[in-house]
Amino acid sequence: MAAVMVQDLHCCDLPWQVDWQQDKCVLCGACAAACTVDAIHFVASSRGVRGAALRQRAELARACTGCGMCSRVCPQNAIRPLRNPDHRFPLLARANGPLKRGGRSNLHAQRTLDKLTVGRISQMTDPALDSERHVFDLRAPLGRVLPVRDLPLRVEGEALSLAAPTPPVRWIYPLMFSDMSIGALSTRAWEAIALACAYLNEQCHLPVRMCSGEGGMPGRLLESEHLQYMVLQIASGHFGWNRILRALPRMKTDPAGVLIKMGQGAKPGDGGLLPAAKVAAHIQAIRGVPRTTLHSPANHQGLYSIEEAVQKMHLSCNAAFGFRVPVAIKCAASVTSVAVYNNLLRDPYNICGGFFLDGIQGGTGAANEISLEHTGHPLASKLRHCYLAAQAQGRQGQIPLWVGGGVGQTGQAAADAFKLICLGANGVLVGKLLIQLLGCVGNEQGRCNACNTGRCPAGICTQDMRLVRRLDIDRGAQAIVDYMLAFDAELRKLLAPVGNTSLPVGRADVLVATDRAVAQALGLDYAC
Amino acid sequence: MMHIDTLDGHRRLSTQELLRMVEVAVQQGETEFVIAASGQHDIGGPLWNRAGRELVFHVRNPGQRVGAMCLPGTTVLVDGPTPADAGWLNSGGRVIVRGDAGDTAGHCAAAGSIYIAGRAGTRTGSLMKHDPQFEEPSLWVLRTVGDFSFEFMGGGRAVVCGLGCADGASPLGARPCVGMVGGVVYVRGQVDMLPEDVRQSELEASDIAWLKPGLADFLAAVGRPELHAALSHWGQWRKITPRPFAEGGRTVGLDMAAFRRQAWVQGGIFGDVLEDDGRVVGLAALGEDRLRMPVWAGRDCRDCRLCLKSCPCKAIAREEDERVGQDSAKGIYALQAEKCQGCGLCAGLCPVGAWDMQELLGHD
Repeated sequence: MAAVMVQDLHCCDLPWQVDWQQDKCVLCGACAAACTVDAIHFVASSRGVRGAALRQRAELARACTGCGMCSRVCPQNAIRPLRNPDHRFPLLARANGPLKRGGRSNLHAQRTLDKLTVGRISQMTDPALDSERHVFDLRAPLGRVLPVRDLPLRVEGEALSLAAPTPPVRWIYPLMFSDMSIGALSTRAWEAIALACAYLNEQCHLPVRMCSGEGGMPGRLLESEHLQYMVLQIASGHFGWNRILRALPRMKTDPAGVLIKMGQGAKPGDGGLLPAAKVAAHIQAIRGVPRTTLHSPANHQGLYSIEEAVQKMHLSCNAAFGFRVPVAIKCAASVTSVAVYNNLLRDPYNICGGFFLDGIQGGTGAANEISLEHTGHPLASKLRHCYLAAQAQGRQGQIPLWVGGGVGQTGQAAADAFKLICLGANGVLVGKLLIQLLGCVGNEQGRCNACNTGRCPAGICTQDMRLVRRLDIDRGAQAIVDYMLAFDAELRKLLAPVGNTSLPVGRADVLVATDRAVAQALGLDYAC
Repeated sequence: MMHIDTLDGHRRLSTQELLRMVEVAVQQGETEFVIAASGQHDIGGPLWNRAGRELVFHVRNPGQRVGAMCLPGTTVLVDGPTPADAGWLNSGGRVIVRGDAGDTAGHCAAAGSIYIAGRAGTRTGSLMKHDPQFEEPSLWVLRTVGDFSFEFMGGGRAVVCGLGCADGASPLGARPCVGMVGGVVYVRGQVDMLPEDVRQSELEASDIAWLKPGLADFLAAVGRPELHAALSHWGQWRKITPRPFAEGGRTVGLDMAAFRRQAWVQGGIFGDVLEDDGRVVGLAALGEDRLRMPVWAGRDCRDCRLCLKSCPCKAIAREEDERVGQDSAKGIYALQAEKCQGCGLCAGLCPVGAWDMQELLGHD
């Protein structure tokens, strides 16, 4: 037997160790068949009466991700991944270059929102409403909202009319399905989300919109009525926009909006990344690229200042749809977000239809771990400061604030949304939550997060049909719909006790903080 | 009969002073009061005569909650309008208002009758209920009621005659009957903005049989008997009732699969760029859905049959079983791919490495 050397890689160096109970195992082989990273295999056992044993591979490239598909499929409950607190993976795996992965930041899973409670509930001063039976106005603007004094109103005899066109504004549901591209997501995952979106609109009267992400748009969707629910994204790679433009003459309806993506909360300053493993033939077709790892540039090339970003990108995107479609811009939250928002608020052409802020807890399909864990800005304080900056100028609500990044991270999306709205958001975005509803098992404790490898065990972040076939579109879409209906009921359950029938945008007086530092940073009452 | 004038020059009787005065008088046997009020609350109840005789209050200019908490045997006659909460929590009295009533008239009324000769304000009739131990309450309004009327109504009968209602306007105001779970609202005129969980229907014979004498009594009590004929065109009336509990619950739309077939892009939105037959497979899938497959390398096979015996899918066969009559290839095993899940037991157990596992995932 060869000597074991201390520097040999061992399973105890890996983040997950596979616990297999030989006495329970019936050797059905399902665990090994289900494992997408090939982390386990059978060997002839020297002891086993039935001659076989299951072993975990001590290989960096085949390290168990903890996804637990083996446990799910085991009829005997004989196998499970165990978190290994003493692993040395971050040290050893860098032998192959910088670490890449998907998911959310695991280091910065701080939950400012959980240090806030809806503290201003009083039947005496703020009579509560009935969440189930009263009528609530749960709508948020997407588009430039002009104050009444700026409306180009003209009196014609008895009638009031507009002397000039006003910017397009869509009043939509205050939760948007966030931008996850075709390519990052499997076709079935993307279609399940789009299907859920259409269902919510057409069967449940919830005007939820979905942002396409920047990976192109399905041609058939561009030419269908369902396009009205889609916000088209343009990022620095401009992937798929030629197809969008070529489809213009055949569009039956306008899209809901256009979102210019400048940056992403999970990896600010870093462009999009689609590993070659996921650039299948249909992705090559939709994006117009060969099979290779696709990097979007860190910046929109040709934009050199905030003013240019507003004038050039907003103008072009507005013009593409005849100034009928609101155009908004998404940036990673940053120390400078308030300066950017102030600049947008001065937009003299009324062509900026929304400021989307993405916090550090946002997810991604692929990023360098160094970016994911160590770059970015928490969302809550930056949102509050943007809102207050607008309020100081009497311009709050004119350029809607939409925020994302970690919304629903603990499964409580309605509470997160409500608190963010009280801090000044008009609406929120959810992304990771949606794929978790589809079956994603990734989390902020280092579980799975293999979105970048093409080996997604849930068939969500992969283009390999062997895995994509694991995902049932109808069941996935139904899970999203069910969650959204509960979200809607829960949002009312928070609105009603504070006595609001419409969204309490910026009503931070509704909140108290149970943490002094959070209270101070957000300008809230500290309560204990 | 006791006359009380609540104003004496600039001196006004407080509500408390008035109510104490009335209570003492009732206890001493007084049964009829004429009260010139000046906004005092809660005139009329809950009071009762020890000998069971009727109590009657003639009131002018009352404050809120006239006839509130009224008990059986009490009649409150208001000559003129009243502010909010007339007949609040009425528990059996007869409250007659010969004028308009303010907001929440008849709120929580659970027995007795309330007659309003004019309009009533917002949230009129809200939370009316019927305790089966007692007679059901009724609330009659000659003209119209304000918004949010009959909210959360749980029982009893309300009648809104819609007299003088503007063309196109609803006699029940905006968003009536929200959260209504019991009772019935009769209304003359067109109603809109009703929630989904109540239904509107034509009157039935039993409804008319109840309305006819009730209307006569109501109109007589408020001094407008001449209107009886004009209000008795029963075809102009509707009744609103909550849907039975079993019919309610969460509105469920189309089944998702049916929605995808009927309302979604036919053939799927990616149908033009990707072939996807829609099959859904389990975690340990067979054949072309396997993630890995064993490949027969045949090295040094000793024909021990371990692979064949250990294969959980029975996907391995000896070649001579497949090709009857050819036994020259002794010890050679063949794989039936459509049965194989790619678990690798065969390769793992083979003492001589006759099977190689080949990765399929990521290799198109």
